[in-house]
Amino acid sequence: MKLVGRIPVEPLDDERLTNIERRIVTGASEASVMRPVRESRIPMVLGFAIIAVVVMCAGLAGWRLRGADAPAALAQEVPLQIQTADHRSTLDIGDARIESTPSTVYTVTRPGGDGVLVAMTRGKVELEVGKRGKRAPLVVRAGDTDVVVVGTHFTVDFGDGTGDVDVRVTEGVVRVVRHHQETRVAEGQAWKTQRGLIAIAVEVVELGPDRGHSGSDTVEIDLSKAPDVLHDRVAKIPDSRIASAGSNAGTASHQVGPGPEDVRPRRLDSTSDPRLDLKTLIRTQLVLPALDVKEPDPTKAISIYRNTAAFQKGDEASLAIYSMAVVQALKLGRTGDAEQTLELYVRRFKGGPEYLAALWLRVRITCLRDFDNVCRQAAYTYLHEAGDTPTSRIAERITMSR
Amino acid sequence: MAYVEDVLLVDRCLTGEPAATRELFRRHRARVHASLFRVLGNNRDMDDLLQEAFLQVFQSLRGWRAEASLSTWIDRVAVRVAYRYLSRRGRRVQTDPIMDDELAVAPLDHGPGARRQLARDGVKRLYAVLDELSPAARLAFTLHEIDGRSIAETAKLVGSSVTATKLRVWRTRKKIEQAAAADAVLREFLEPAGADVIPFDDKEAS
Repeated sequence: MKLVGRIPVEPLDDERLTNIERRIVTGASEASVMRPVRESRIPMVLGFAIIAVVVMCAGLAGWRLRGADAPAALAQEVPLQIQTADHRSTLDIGDARIESTPSTVYTVTRPGGDGVLVAMTRGKVELEVGKRGKRAPLVVRAGDTDVVVVGTHFTVDFGDGTGDVDVRVTEGVVRVVRHHQETRVAEGQAWKTQRGLIAIAVEVVELGPDRGHSGSDTVEIDLSKAPDVLHDRVAKIPDSRIASAGSNAGTASHQVGPGPEDVRPRRLDSTSDPRLDLKTLIRTQLVLPALDVKEPDPTKAISIYRNTAAFQKGDEASLAIYSMAVVQALKLGRTGDAEQTLELYVRRFKGGPEYLAALWLRVRITCLRDFDNVCRQAAYTYLHEAGDTPTSRIAERITMSR
Repeated sequence: MAYVEDVLLVDRCLTGEPAATRELFRRHRARVHASLFRVLGNNRDMDDLLQEAFLQVFQSLRGWRAEASLSTWIDRVAVRVAYRYLSRRGRRVQTDPIMDDELAVAPLDHGPGARRQLARDGVKRLYAVLDELSPAARLAFTLHEIDGRSIAETAKLVGSSVTATKLRVWRTRKKIEQAAAADAVLREFLEPAGADVIPFDDKEAS
């Protein structure tokens, strides 16, 4: 049975095609100015009827349950002891989700009815807590340390239950209370018993020559000893702990050739001046190099990238377009063209492999030109997308710069 | 430069530029129409379906993320439109009906005119069998066996696994072979006697 090419397609005549085209052009222009409104499949009367029935049922249920205790599974003050076996487990208590690593032991109670106390014996928990509004805060107690939460996402590592406590906040803010001393730990920061408040930065480790080896490492920046530079709105920050990890060897293989500006990552010298100019700091941050196409001439390299982008898709196209922007900006100094290419990249490859690198390159280009609104907007976008990285701390400073 | 051109064209479409919309439609209409035709057969709703497919494309154009090529993405939208149409209509599609007298086995003439007529009848009977299938099975079979797409591409287009798609194609083939066993015209169309396949060009079809 061979049917390919044997079923003739009856062509549409020109008049029909013109009519369809006209209707599509009209429909498309309408779609571009307004979001499509979903037609309700339920007639309005039926909708009202359903709502009425639901309200009646809710009223009846409320009447039947009047005087009963709060319905939440953990509303009672009876402690609920959790002991995680040899796999991660998740406990949903309604107003928070507690995920625990293997061998974690903790107890959940609701002191005062609406508060939550997670008392840890050992192990590590990760919590996602909804906004608590006027309810009493959720407290994680690890030994002599209390982590007070109003609505956030964080982890508390109590190790074997005898040592230090490690609190890491990925979203929102928590208060850590120990020995009557309170520390506010914000998103991207951590708190350790011995070290106090620290900033956690995720740093991308060098990409291998085949781009298959990438990873991340965390860099801890002591904030308790350093000046509060992230909030003083002055364009100087200490550089001592924001060092680039990884070797330059892998990066060098991606170079397109010598150009007006070296894009290799440079290490910041921890013994150098603790304060650096913001522009200098931007220059020192890693720019993901362009794809090595063994072409020393940047213009020819751009042609190669352009061809790759034309005939490839997905990751290959993403890398080619990003590489085009890198060479335009850093080899040819055509920052305007590079910005346009990056705009195209950001629109088309949101979340792509070089997405963050493209956002950072945009920050670099715009902010080395001037700390204006364009630069701040680019920095804000990077900050929003990148989360916690060394460069996002710089982006944060840029957004606060005047 | 097709890929970059597509990206730029989509950007222009997203700004609501009518010329860009027209260009995108003209660039892809023949392929989409051919796919819909091969899936659904000669169909009186074809104009509406083509229009619906492209309206869907323009409404969701913002969702195209250049991970797949634009043509693949448009094909996926068109296949979804075809699927919805098949589901809405049940298993019966408004293909040209087969008259009772056509069902009778006509003496097989070997002249060119008779062979073309036989081909036309064969197509009708083939789609009559396809009308009895589930939308998913019909899509899998027609996209692979008639539209000539690979199993992997077909699976991607219909949103099923490769194994499920293979199974659907295989089952459909068995059904068609069963139907052909009882229908000489269909049998002759599927396995033409002699080396030549039955000629059936576009001009005559129209």
